[in-house]
Amino acid sequence: MMFDLTLALADRPGQLLKALEPIAKNGGNIISIIHEREKPTGGYVPVSLVVDFPTDRSFKKALNDLENVDVKVIKSEEVVEKTSVTLILIGKIDVRKILEAKIKDMRITDFEVSAPTSKEACIKMDIEAPTGLINKILEEMKRIADEEKVLLIPSI
Amino acid sequence: MKLLLIGFGFIGRSLVKAIRSKIDLIKQIDQDFKVIGVSDRKGYQYDEEGLNLERLSGIDRLQDYSKAYYEGGSSIELIERCTANLMVEVTPTNIRDGEPGLTHIKEALSRGINVVTSNKGPLVVAFKELSSLAERNSCEFKYEGTVAGAVPIFSLVNECLQGDRIFRISGILNGTTNYILSRMFFEGTSFEIALKEAQERGITEKDPAYDVDGIDAACKVVILANAIMKRDARFGDVKITGIQGITSEAVSSAKRSNYAIKLIGMIEKDLEVAPKLIPVNHPLCIHGTLNAIHLEADLAGELTLIGHGAGKETVSALLNDVLSILRKKVIA
Repeated sequence: MMFDLTLALADRPGQLLKALEPIAKNGGNIISIIHEREKPTGGYVPVSLVVDFPTDRSFKKALNDLENVDVKVIKSEEVVEKTSVTLILIGKIDVRKILEAKIKDMRITDFEVSAPTSKEACIKMDIEAPTGLINKILEEMKRIADEEKVLLIPSI
Repeated sequence: MKLLLIGFGFIGRSLVKAIRSKIDLIKQIDQDFKVIGVSDRKGYQYDEEGLNLERLSGIDRLQDYSKAYYEGGSSIELIERCTANLMVEVTPTNIRDGEPGLTHIKEALSRGINVVTSNKGPLVVAFKELSSLAERNSCEFKYEGTVAGAVPIFSLVNECLQGDRIFRISGILNGTTNYILSRMFFEGTSFEIALKEAQERGITEKDPAYDVDGIDAACKVVILANAIMKRDARFGDVKITGIQGITSEAVSSAKRSNYAIKLIGMIEKDLEVAPKLIPVNHPLCIHGTLNAIHLEADLAGELTLIGHGAGKETVSALLNDVLSILRKKVIA
């Protein structure tokens, strides 16, 4: 599981090593690290990390251990891998059906309607969703398309 | 080896011409090679000493070869009476029951005759049965020409990817629909006009629904699933959506976003034939009547083969299958 962390380290030697030890001890694999030494604020330097932890539990344990060694954690959130898919719907469709379907975790990033009143109405939309959910979301879109009797063409 | 050709339509006649032009190459492998029988719907020509390839390549109707044409004689009768050990079956495809090709192939295999075919029907209907029959009778059964014509998909997988597990196959498996969608993509024409053009060029089946409704592509999906992914798939297992509902507006809209709409056959967990948006820089985004097959394998990663899917190029696949059998059976 990938996590995005921002730590505030005291601006003195040895602090980075102190912060990395609890991460390594809990199985965290550091994917990237940005140590912004030139931006100290109030005696602290921000350090941004992306870390891959084996489990959610090991991540929480690492946070706890960081607190115990007086490292301040400013931000900690899971990085969710997202996939974008382009879809085309052909046929007379009530656009509200899609917009009001409010499919969980799906974000519409682009939406284009051509010839909306004709039988050849065409909607092109770009959607974004967590990679693990994309197939489920496409199935839901297919269900709506079948219900509305329109043709759904997804990108591969 | 003694070869029997069942079917003397366009592909059968093209194969005779190819055998004639490559006879020196064939004789290098098997100096006793000869074609001893050819049948069509109405009868057959047969000569145990070998038919004259030059004369056979110069005719369109089989009865014009010689007066010894066995009019009314059936292909089964020819298979039964001759001593052939290799049969090429190229009668027209029938996906409902695989006939008459299915009976021809079963008869040949059960008599220990090696078989090469480009006829999809028997493989769609009875792939497992025919493969087992060939194995039981120690026969070679080759069908490279059934999927994507000259594209050597089965040879590639069987010879060059022996240690790989293929976990996904996708492809443009029908040249007619690719032609129609390419015309719509480049010229902005409607589906109806592009279909009419394809019919005028003679590249559609007699019933265009066979192409545009995705039936032909679905047959190839079944064969690929059975032959490469070792499934026990039937035609009814394929979810099929054709291209009749695709509008020029949809093609333009896709194009503005750097996609082309293509009819894609997909073999993964499920079997499907349906229109998909293909990024214009994707290896499957090929145009005209070309076919393409994209393989995803555990060791080799991604591979794409592109080539002519129908017509005279199919002869390349048939001849290669014949040569492979000659090498295996004669040289061994």
